Amino acid sequence: MLGFEFPQINSLLRWKDFFTSFNKIGLIAVLAAVIGSVVFLLAGRKDPQVAPTGVRNLAETSIEFIENGIVMETMGKDGLGWTPFLLSIFIFVYLCNVPGIIPILYMPATARIAIPMFLSLLVWVIYNGVGIKHQGVGGYLKSTLFPPGVPKALYILVTPIEFISNIIVRPFSLTVRLFANMLAGHILLVTFALLSQAMFQATTHKIALVPMGILPFFMLLFITAFEVLVAFLQAYIFTILTAVYIGGAAHPEH
Amino acid sequence: MQAVVLHVQGSALVLPATTGNTVSATEASKPGPIVPEVKELVWGGGAFVVFALLMRFVLFPRVKRGMDARYESIRGAHENADQLRLAARAEVAEYDAQIATIRADAARVVDAARQTVERERQARLAEVNARLNEQRAAALAEAEAARAAAQGEVREAVSDVAGRAGELATGHRPDPQVVERVVDEVMAR
Repeated sequence: MLGFEFPQINSLLRWKDFFTSFNKIGLIAVLAAVIGSVVFLLAGRKDPQVAPTGVRNLAETSIEFIENGIVMETMGKDGLGWTPFLLSIFIFVYLCNVPGIIPILYMPATARIAIPMFLSLLVWVIYNGVGIKHQGVGGYLKSTLFPPGVPKALYILVTPIEFISNIIVRPFSLTVRLFANMLAGHILLVTFALLSQAMFQATTHKIALVPMGILPFFMLLFITAFEVLVAFLQAYIFTILTAVYIGGAAHPEH
Repeated sequence: MQAVVLHVQGSALVLPATTGNTVSATEASKPGPIVPEVKELVWGGGAFVVFALLMRFVLFPRVKRGMDARYESIRGAHENADQLRLAARAEVAEYDAQIATIRADAARVVDAARQTVERERQARLAEVNARLNEQRAAALAEAEAARAAAQGEVREAVSDVAGRAGELATGHRPDPQVVERVVDEVMAR
């Protein structure tokens, strides 16, 4: 009989305050904003006429990635004005995700619901605002709740679905997609780390158990590498969905 | 954080608890793990809003301006290079045209020179041929004259010898005209 008692979930996620109301999640969020700002500040200081290297290259690559990979694909040329906002979202979410695999920090700030929820609500306010600005309240509600090309009789069914889908579910799904993915990754890392430690340090007569600790350790390494990809992917998904929602609200005909 | 417990064949083997900055088990029981904490909302939201505003008004425009300036300069350099390439191509075409003109001129001059040389050669040839003909005719006439002179001398000598022989044989000198006629007949055979 082999059993493994896992710590309470909250003890993996909730952190003591460093000082009043400022814990590790706040620290990571502030660090994300500071690192993002410093990279772009340093990039802005370099001579733009020479071929970009180092931080300048990083900043320009990220701008081109957002412009060509997200804005032009989802919103077209009219959406280029949204590049700074989408760039901020991408960098901030990525830098909040990536501490999940950085030693000492080992906690993605987005594995707590506060930051994904804040960003999703902000995106919700923005895309609804953009829709109302471009189409007016009536026009926006009409294009959102009464999609063209649907037989009128079906509106009884379609309109509530569209309302729930576009107005209620979107911010919720945006929050949960990011939060749940990062939380799941964090829990997997903790699980395999604790399992490795438990098996390496087990005071048991079953000596064979000790070398078997290498198996969860390999899994820990694999999940860590996988989380590098997940951190980027979740930031990209969050940003591209934001662009799709804003683009859809600004140009419903697309 | 709570201790990790490993049960092996009924005997629980307790490992040292992993301690850190996480809250205690009592604290950890509430609120639930998916309930947002206000302090995290405030710090996370505040950090993002400050970052987004900085990005919108300071950071992005500076980097983007630099990128646009460089792209513009690269585009200008490309256009300049295109113009230079076109100009170079035009110059090459002009050079080729000039080469063709010069070659045609050279061919014309060479043809004219060749024709002049041919004409001069023909004239010289005719002149030389005429001179040769003249010389040949003169030589022939001279040779004919010499032959006639020699023939006359031979006829005279033979006639003289024949006259003397006739005189010795007959005792009187034969008629010189007859002797000359006989000699002429013999020489003409």
